[in-house]
Amino acid sequence: MSVRARPISPHLQIYRWTITMAMSILHRVTGIANYAGMTLLVIWLVAAALGQEALSAVNSLYGSWFGQLVLFGYTWSLVHHMCGGLRHFVWDRAAMLEPGRRQQLAWATPIASVIITLLIWILFVWAV
Amino acid sequence: MRETVITKDTIANPRSHYGDARASTRHFLTQRITGAINILFLGLLLFIVVRVAGQDRTDLVAVIGNGWIGLPFAVLIAVVAVHMRNGMRDTLEDYMAGSMYRLTMSLNTFYCLAVAVLGIGAVLKIVFWG
Repeated sequence: MSVRARPISPHLQIYRWTITMAMSILHRVTGIANYAGMTLLVIWLVAAALGQEALSAVNSLYGSWFGQLVLFGYTWSLVHHMCGGLRHFVWDRAAMLEPGRRQQLAWATPIASVIITLLIWILFVWAV
Repeated sequence: MRETVITKDTIANPRSHYGDARASTRHFLTQRITGAINILFLGLLLFIVVRVAGQDRTDLVAVIGNGWIGLPFAVLIAVVAVHMRNGMRDTLEDYMAGSMYRLTMSLNTFYCLAVAVLGIGAVLKIVFWG
């Protein structure tokens, strides 16, 4: 499919920030982070397929404080993108698009993503 | 200079490159369907990671090597790769055009294919050969 150059506006500097705009941008940012982060999963799986030595090396890297920080961020990015996707499913049904309602739905995504991410880490990492 | 008025005919004409209605609808639906399936991927990924993160290889093979877990996981990685390529296409369409778009889109396809082949290959190796 051929594509024509699209007009690019200085949207970040010019427009007043709204929650729907911020969540739209964050959906794309987390999408790109998830895209890059799949490398982490592939490295882990390939190391596991290769043998104990490679797996131990990856485990110690991912288990380090920096590795855990990245994995925490990646968890939130994945969860936030999922919540953003669910929000789009609601909007696809032409529901919650009215002024006020759409902002509520947009606010629900970061709130839900932070709560779900914290629950995952509290229940499965910190409490274990 | 005045902008030319964009009519329905201009948009419908493939030569004006406003986009392909059929391909765009397919893109939209593909992204929604793979996105919904990715909820299952995240659930299974969470289950697997919680069970085997930091464990020795024997414990990992016991979980991922189980066909009922490993094979669905392999299929879901393929679905993720499709969603990744589709989503990155949206971004590239917004900021790239012409030969730069084609180049970045090829890199996009290559990366997503590499994720799928390496990820699925590793999982299948663990399932069938331990």
